[in-house]
Formats: sequence, C-alpha cells, structure tokens
Amino acid sequence: MKFIHAADLHLDSPFLGLTGLPNSLLADVRQSTFTAATKIFDQALAQQVDFVLLAGDLFDRAEQSVAAQAYLFQQFDRLNQAQIPVIVSFGNHDYLADQHQTVAYPANVTVLGSTVTTKTLTLRDGETVAISGFSYPQRWVTSDPLPDFPAHAATDWHIGMLHGAVATGSADHYAPFTVADLLGKRYDYWALGHIHHRQLLNQEPPILYAGNTQGRAINETGEKGAYLVTSDHGQLHPQFFETAAVDWATATLDASGVTDLTALGTQLTTWLTAHPAPRPTLTALTVTHLALTASDLASLRQGDWLQLYLRTHARQLKAAQRYLVALTPAVASQPLAAPQLDQQYWDQGAQTVFTSENLQATFGKLAQEPVLADWFGQKTVSTTLQQQAEQILAELMGEEDHDAS
Amino acid sequence: MHLNRLTIYGFGHFHDRTFDLTAGLNYLLGANEAGKSTLTQFITAIFFGFPTKKHPALRYEPLDGSRFGGEIAFTQAGVDYLVSRTDGPHGGKVTLHDTTHDLALPAANLKRLLAPVDAQLFTSVYAINEPRLGTVFAASKQELIDRLRHVGAVGSDFWLQQAQHLEQAAETQYKPQGRNPLLNQQLRDHRELTAKLAKADAAYETYWQLLQQQQTLRNTQTATQQTLTHQRAVTEQVTQQAALWATYTEWQRLGSDEQAAVSGFTADDATRLEQLRGQVSASNQTLAQDQQHLQDLQQDAQLPPLFQAYLPVASQVDPLLMQLPEMTQTANEQQQLAASQQDLEARSAALEHQYAINGQMPRPFSLATTQQVTALQERLTAANQKRRRLQQQLNQLNERFQQQQPSRRQQRNPLADKQIIWLAIGLVVLVGSMFLPGTWFKLVGALLGVAIGYYGVFLVDSSTPASRELETLTADIRDSQAQLREGGQLVDDLNNQLDTIATAHGLGDLPVDQWSAAQGAIGEWEQLTRQLEDTGSRLAKAQQTVTTYLTQVTQALPTLTGEDLATIAPQLTQLQTLKQSLQHQEGDLATATARLKADQAAVDTARQQLNTFLSTRNLRSVAAFYQRYQAQRERTNRQQQRAALAEQLGDNLAALQQFANHAALTDQLAQAQAQQAATQQRLDQTTTQLATLAGQLAHLTASGTQATLRQKLANLETQMIATTQDWLVKRLTSQWIAATLAAASGDRLPQIVAQASNYYGKLTENRYTEIELTATTLRVRRAAGDWRDVSQLSRGTAEQLDLAVKLAFAVVLNQQVTMPLVIDDGFVNFDAQRRQAAYALLAEISQTLQVIFLTADPAVEQLAAGNLIRLHE
Repeated sequence: MKFIHAADLHLDSPFLGLTGLPNSLLADVRQSTFTAATKIFDQALAQQVDFVLLAGDLFDRAEQSVAAQAYLFQQFDRLNQAQIPVIVSFGNHDYLADQHQTVAYPANVTVLGSTVTTKTLTLRDGETVAISGFSYPQRWVTSDPLPDFPAHAATDWHIGMLHGAVATGSADHYAPFTVADLLGKRYDYWALGHIHHRQLLNQEPPILYAGNTQGRAINETGEKGAYLVTSDHGQLHPQFFETAAVDWATATLDASGVTDLTALGTQLTTWLTAHPAPRPTLTALTVTHLALTASDLASLRQGDWLQLYLRTHARQLKAAQRYLVALTPAVASQPLAAPQLDQQYWDQGAQTVFTSENLQATFGKLAQEPVLADWFGQKTVSTTLQQQAEQILAELMGEEDHDAS
Repeated sequence: MHLNRLTIYGFGHFHDRTFDLTAGLNYLLGANEAGKSTLTQFITAIFFGFPTKKHPALRYEPLDGSRFGGEIAFTQAGVDYLVSRTDGPHGGKVTLHDTTHDLALPAANLKRLLAPVDAQLFTSVYAINEPRLGTVFAASKQELIDRLRHVGAVGSDFWLQQAQHLEQAAETQYKPQGRNPLLNQQLRDHRELTAKLAKADAAYETYWQLLQQQQTLRNTQTATQQTLTHQRAVTEQVTQQAALWATYTEWQRLGSDEQAAVSGFTADDATRLEQLRGQVSASNQTLAQDQQHLQDLQQDAQLPPLFQAYLPVASQVDPLLMQLPEMTQTANEQQQLAASQQDLEARSAALEHQYAINGQMPRPFSLATTQQVTALQERLTAANQKRRRLQQQLNQLNERFQQQQPSRRQQRNPLADKQIIWLAIGLVVLVGSMFLPGTWFKLVGALLGVAIGYYGVFLVDSSTPASRELETLTADIRDSQAQLREGGQLVDDLNNQLDTIATAHGLGDLPVDQWSAAQGAIGEWEQLTRQLEDTGSRLAKAQQTVTTYLTQVTQALPTLTGEDLATIAPQLTQLQTLKQSLQHQEGDLATATARLKADQAAVDTARQQLNTFLSTRNLRSVAAFYQRYQAQRERTNRQQQRAALAEQLGDNLAALQQFANHAALTDQLAQAQAQQAATQQRLDQTTTQLATLAGQLAHLTASGTQATLRQKLANLETQMIATTQDWLVKRLTSQWIAATLAAASGDRLPQIVAQASNYYGKLTENRYTEIELTATTLRVRRAAGDWRDVSQLSRGTAEQLDLAVKLAFAVVLNQQVTMPLVIDDGFVNFDAQRRQAAYALLAEISQTLQVIFLTADPAVEQLAAGNLIRLHE
C-alpha cells in the first residue's frame, strides 16, 4: 500500500504581511499554493499511489475562490484518469456547505460526510483499507469526535482522518482530541490536518500532522510539504516530501559595529551573499547590536530604509533568492531613565495607560473595523504596543539626554 | 543656587557694569527704562544663550558697540562658578570656570549645572513679570493645566512637547472623523477593495451556477446527441428509401404484366430445335455435295488422245508399263556409270601424266625384285654410311697428323744419338775397373762398364713416344684410305645392280627413293584401268537395255517415236494413272448414287422431326417458335430482374410498400429531415452554449481578479494594521507621557497647591483660602466658602493666583532645584495692600531661595530686609 497524506492546501489564500513585493515574485507567490498542491498530485501520479488523503482546509470557503475550485476539479480529474481515489475531509476553512453539492467532483473523489464515515477501498494488490473521518459541517466543531470513530475494521488497514487540534481544555473549537484516544482506536495511521506546522504526535502507529503545503505568513517557516506513506511488513512508513514554491524564514543579522545605515546596507548585502536560499524565500530579518542614531533607527523602523534597500539591491536579492519582508532592529530593553523624571512615575504612567480599558478606549471606533478588531484582539498586541512605546520613549530620552547634556 | 555678581561687558544700554548680589533678597530699583527688563534678559541670556539674530529685539546687543555679553558668578552646591558668554554661534561663546577649584570646565557642563532648569522653565516659572502673569489667563484652561503640570514636573516641558508631537503625528495617521490621515485613507481603500472583492466574489456564485449549467447542458447534449443519432438513422433510411423509389417503381412495373408460364419454350427446347434444323441443313448439304460429286464423275468420262492410242495396244504396252520403273532406274544408273567412268579416266590420266615415260607406264616390280631392291638399297645406305664415317675418320686423322707434323723434329730423344758416348763411357768404366783393387771390385766395375755400354747401345731407344704416335697415325691414314677405296667399289657395284633393275622395269631416271611411291601409283593405275573397263562394259549393257525398251515402246506407240526416255516416262506414268482411275470410276459412280439415295432419306427424316417438333407446340414456323421463345425469355429475364431489384430493395421493400405514392415518401423524408435539422440545431445550440460556458468558466478561472484583489486586500490589511499599530503606539506613548507627568507632578502638586493656597491667602489678605487643581479643573475658594472659577477672578486676583502658584512651585521644588527667582515689576496690577503683602511674602521666601526683585517702586527703599541696588548709580 502506498498513499499520500496531505492537508491544509489553502488554495488561492493570500499571503499575509506582505507589502510592495516585486511583480515577478508576486506572481510566484500568488501561484504558490497551486504550485505546491500540484507537486502533491504530480507525486501521486509519479508514485502511482493507491489513494490520496486530503485532511481538510483544501481551500478557504470564505475566500470564495473560483480559481481554487476550478483547480481542484482539474486536478481531481487528472487523478481520476489515473484511477487514483481521493479521500477528502473538509476542515474548518473549507467546511461542508451544501449549497453547491449538485456539482459533484469526479467519481474518484470521496468527500466524507459531516458525521464520521468509513470508506473502504480494495487496492490493486487485493489489500483492503478502511478510511474513517468526517467533514466539518460548519466553522467550528467543539465536541470530541473520537467516540464516533469505529473500531478497527476487518480490513487489512484502517486509517483515521482528522482535522483538528489536541484538546487544551478551553476554547477548543477544532474537534479537540487526545493522542491517547487516537491510540485507543488501534488504527494503523492517523492522518491529521489543521496544524500548519508538521509534527509527529506518535511514532508507531504514526499519528501526524502533514502541516500545510505552502507557508503563507512569517510564522509559517520551515519545510512545507506532505507525506508519502508506504507499507512495509505490516507497518506504515511516512516519508516527508517538500512542496513549497516559496519559503518563509526568519533570520538574525549581527550588526555589531554598524553605526550608520550605509554600513548596515553593506553588512546586509554581505549577509545575503553568504546566505542564498534554495528557492524564493520571504525573509524577516532581525538586526541585533545596532548602534544607530535615533533618526536612522526611526527610518529603519518605519521601513523607509528597507524599501529603498529592496529597490536598489534587487539584483543581489534575486541572486540570493531572498526577499526581505521585514527588517526589525532589536533594541535591548533597558529601564526607562529620564533624567528629569523618576522611573517610578513612568511605571505609574504605564499602569494607567496600558490597561485594557484605556487601550480599548483609545482604539475607539477602529474596533468597528473587523480586520483591525481581529488584530487588536490578539493577546500579544498590548505587549507589542507597550514595547514599541517604550522604544519610542527610550529614543526620546536619548534625545532629551542629548539636548540636556 | 544663588548669583553672586553680574558683570556686563555690553548688553542693551549697559556696558561694563557690575552688580553684586546677596544670597537672599535683592531689590534692584530703577525708573522706567533703567534696564530692569534688560537685566532679566541678561541673566537668561548668559545662562541659556543669546536669542538668534532673527530676533534682534530680544538679543539686546550693546548700542555703543562695546563687547556683547557678560559674566555671572554663582554658587551651586557650595562651589563657586563663573560663567561668561560672548557673541558667537549657537547662542554665543560660553566659558565656564570653577573658581573654587580654579578649573576651566567645558561649556557643555553649564547645562548640567543648571539642570533640570532650561530656558523655557526659567522664563515661565522663575522669571516672573507682569505680561507673563497676564498671559496665563489669555490661554485656555488646558494650557493652564499643562503649564501647571509643566510647573509640577521638572523637565516636563520637553515631554509635553514630545507628547504633543506624537499626538500631531498620530493625527496625521488617523483621526476618527478625518478624511486625509493615512489610516482613514486606508480604511476607505479597504472598504472599496472589499466592495470590489465582494463583486469579484460574486463570480464564485456565477462559477457554481455556470458549472451547474455546464453539467445540465452536458446531459442535454448527450441526450440530444443520442436523439440525433437515432434521427440520422431514420433520415438515412428514408433517404435510402427515397433513392430506391425508382427501383421500387421498376419492381412494381416488372410485376404488373405477370403471365402464366408456358412449357416447351425453354432454352433446352431452343437447343433441340436448333439441332433439328442443323440436321436438316446438314443432310441437305450432304445431298448437294453428293450430287455435285456425281456430276464431277460424269464429266471426268472424257479421255486424252494418248490413252485412246493406248487402248488398242493395251496388252502390248502393259508389260512395258510394268517395266517402266525399272527402265527409269536403269537410265539413272546409266548416267551414274557415265559420271564414274569420266572420273576414273581423269584419275588414270593424272597418274599417267606423272609416271609415264614415252607414254609407257613403268612395269611393277615382282615380289623378288622388290626384296632385291630393298636389300640393295639397305646395303647401299650402309656402304654410304661407312664411307662417310671412314671419310670423317680420315679427316680427323689428317687433322691430327697436321697438328703433329710441325713438332716432329724437336721431339726426337736427345739420348738416341749418343750410342758412341754410352760405349765410350762403358769402356772407360770397364777399363777403369781394371784398375780397382780386389777382384770383386774389378769384377763389379767390369760388369758395370759392360752394363753401361749395353744400356747405351740397346736399351736407350732413339724413338720417343711422339714419333711412335705419328707413325701409328700415318699407318691409320693409310688403312682408312684403303678402306675408302674398297667402300667406293662396293657402292659403284650396288648402283650398277640397281640401274640394271630400273632399266629392266622401265623406271628410267627416276631416283631410287621415289621407287616405292611409283610402285604404289602403278598399282592404283592398274586398278583404275580395270574399273574403267568394268564400268564401260556395264554402261554399254545399260544403254543396250534402255535402247531395247525404247525401241519396244516406239514400236507399240508410234506417237512417241524420236523422244528419249526422260520425255516418255511421265507420259507413260500419266497413262498408267489414268488407266487406274478409270478402273476406280466405275465403283465411284455406283457409290455416289447409293449415297444420294441415303442422303435424300436423311433429309426427309430431319424434316419430319422438325415438323413434329413444331406441331407439338402448335406452331407453324420456326420463326413463330422463336417469337414465343423470345417472349418467354424476356419474361424470365423480367422475373430475374425483379428478384434482383427485390434483393436490392431488401428490407426497404416492405417499408416502401407502406407508402401509397412517391409524394407520401417525400413527405416522410421531409419530415425526418426537418426533425433531424431541428435536433441538430438544438445540439448546435447546446454545443454553442457549452462553448460559451467553457469560455466564461475559463475567463472566470483565469481572470485572477479575485486572487489579485484578495492579495491586495491582504497587503492593505497588513499596512492598515501597521498604521494602526503605529498610531496606537504614538497615542499611547503620548498618553503615557501625560500620565507620567501627571504622576510626577501628582506627588508635588498637593504640596504646591497647599503652599499656593497658603501664599494666595497671604496675598489676598485671606479672601481666598483654597486652590483646587485637578487634571481638568482649576478653581479657588473664597473665605466665605464658595468656589470661583479662574475666569470669574479679577485680573489682579488672577495674577496673584499665578504668582502664588509659581512661588509655591519654586519653594516646593527648591528641595531639588535651586534657582533664583527673578521678578520684574510683577506687582503693577496689585493694590498697595496686596503689594505690601507680596513684599512680605518675598522676604519670607528669600529665606530659602535667592530673590532678585526688579522694580520701579521706590517703596522698596523703606523695606527693612534686603540688599538694595539702584540701577542709576
């Protein structure tokens, strides 16, 4: 038996946190989710696998992408012609909605229903495999789906498909489960989806997240791809293969001794030359040990300098296959020490300002903007805001100090 | 800190002036234009820098051209300093000197020494003058509160400014009601993009609809295609039927004149008839031939003249005729013999020509003669050979002899002529030996002498070997010559014998070696002669025979007289043939007559049969039979044709029979075609629609509008969040600064407010007892207990409030900051009582900090405390 386990294709979903990409790269980026998915289907055809498992989030239903739908029809048809079955369990992004059920996918595609369904396949070599799973009927599935999964069927193999997250005990919206429960089913393999970072929850039998096939934001770094699973003496061996067309990466540049932006540019170019990427890589760079003047630092922080650098160093960037999405100067946090004002007053001030009430009040009407409200709702935001405010104050203090001396 | 001495190099109308000050209260008394404000400005300028040249009125550059600037000696934390400032860039050239330790300090240290007081704080709090007090109330309440906050927290001015900057910067990024700030724009763009995307997303619904339509249409297409296929088949069938209509009509026509089949007119019957007719014509022909033959036979009865001549002598000629072939042969033989005779004659003539002598052929040898001749010849040959050999020998010998001859004399033995000598020697030895002693010796010597003489006379031969050989040669030559002569005689003898033989046989001079060939020719010639004789006799005999025959023939048939056998022979042969054919003719005629009869019978029989054949069929003539036969055959043909047509029509026949006429069929065809066309059109429509759909789907799929918009939106959102974050950070930082200042001032504010309340009470003779200052409010309480807003106060009372607050601030802050209080005619709006109260208050304050009070009020001269300096001095 040989099959592919992939998840979270997120076809045609936009990349987050990007501004001002060069057009050439933008085209690659826009196509990257498709390119990555195509690699999976190519692999399926090349390896002549027995079936393909897609464990949810093939696309984002909310995005209503025509391209994604057309692409799936086309690719499923390819597999259909090669007589390779595809088992799909929709997840929280592509949850099962019944409005378009009249137009069915090709005959080789099985979309698991909203309750746990078992599909039994007889493979070319005569082996039988049962695949159990379900599709999300809506955005959230808060109940533990495990009790609905059947016991190991009387087939040679039994595989579970599950789009969800390990239960944390609170605010579990995504089919919360425990690894112990999965093991309790005594299946031969659990094909998990939803978590974009691939990870092995259990070695034998394999319980694993395939991760997404293409990173779409700076927090989705590392190799992205899917698993080719082969059977050997009654055991299943997942083997990872890469699919991403565009990588995301974070890196740190030690800029000790750099005191002006020109030197930083030189250092950055040197770094690029020394760190070429194997494929287009969107890189967020943190620069440490910077000793710049406040105005230079401000220019750096506002991104003006990076934009200029990107424009003037297109060739080097292209050679290194890197595009810098962010250049963040790391400033060591230091106690605020305004000469004229005691630290305690700043602390008192911070306590009155960085309260959720005040933040909410300051945020004000912007809370009506869903995008901003979502962002504002993130836990880290208040900390980030305070840190940045501290940085501004620190810079101002430097200025003040400078003026005073 | 307190100022000890002001030294003016040149500032305003002052030049080279020195003012010594005390640590406590100092009154600087001067009329208007005495330079009170100039002094205030001087202190400010020396400490904090000259104003820029853009504001010349504030610079107070010396009017008389003396050196711009001055110096101030002051004490700070127990250390004495001297600061000087002269004209120069960036607020002037500063020197700083630590006079206690006599150290020159960097100019930058001045700021640190003065810190946290800066020009702003100094002018707003420590340098008090009437206009400044007045401006307090021209400003908004917020400004006042800010000022108070400014007053409340040291260095807060910078921070307030920064907070304000941040607020302003934040406002360029976002204003809840604004249009132009960045975030407002972005929000607007976002709404537009969202709307656009929603529009583009409508494509999603459209896509599914199209997909649905596509599926439906595909089903329709398949169904229509099936229908079309069916209808095509129908149409094709009907078309085929229409095409076959002519065939069908033909089939119908062929079937219309159906007749009953009549027997006796089959092809076999026709063949039979033909046979009968053939028989009739054949027998007729035979009859005619035989009749002709008979006529021919009758004509042939005419005979040639020779035959008529023959007929009377037939018995006489017949044996001759019998002999004719033999005679012909004899004549032939005769000719051959004549030819042979000629040949033989020619050959014998040739031989005679060769060998005959005088017309006489030599005679042949008898056997004995032949043997004798042969023996003679052999002996002759042998004798000749021997002679040649002898001759050769002789020649050789002669040659050798010739060779030997010249050397004969020299080769004579030299010893041969020395016989005398030898005798003499022998004699000498003999005689000599006689003289020898001893008998023996004498005997031996005698013997020796005898021996020598013997040798010389007998043993030494005079002839040498060469001479002996020559002699032998000569003997040989002589011998050979004798033998030669002997041989010659033998040869001559033999030749004579041979000549005798030749003469006897008439051989004449013929050489002996040709005798053998001549003998052969003679034999042949004799044979030829015999053959000639033989041939001649046979020829004569044949001629005799032929002549006899001819004579007999001529006797019998005189017409042939004078003609030779070659001419007669064919005439005789013809005669013989004629005779034989005449014998046959008799039989032929009879046969011919018989055959004529038979022929006639056969003709009759044949006719009979033919008539029977015809009568059985009720026919009068053959033509009638053929007419009927033809008709019958056509009918059969038609039937076959019809069957062929039926086969051609096949299944369509039944279908065609359903149609009443061609029009019905045409109608049906038209109908089927119309239906097919309609279906085809439907299919075409469906196909077109599908193509359109595919195009639309492809367009939707490929447009990329959605993806582009979505990515744009994502990018915009990133920017929006960044802007918002930035904005929030600025706002929050500003708030933080305000809160911090509030916190910082908040500690001192109660003290300041309490102190200010105390001072305000003193200044207003306790008409007002309390000041309340919060973040938003500033009000005062009258002694009666009611509260008054700042706006409700009189100008003087308001100025007193500000003075009270400032003094309180300076006093309270004195714990950290010591700065002299410079008051320039600050109390002009005060009434006398309150001015006295103010003086009293200043005296009180001067206990803790230096007060420099510049005034035009001479009342100060009366005051007890304080150091009085008159500016006009």
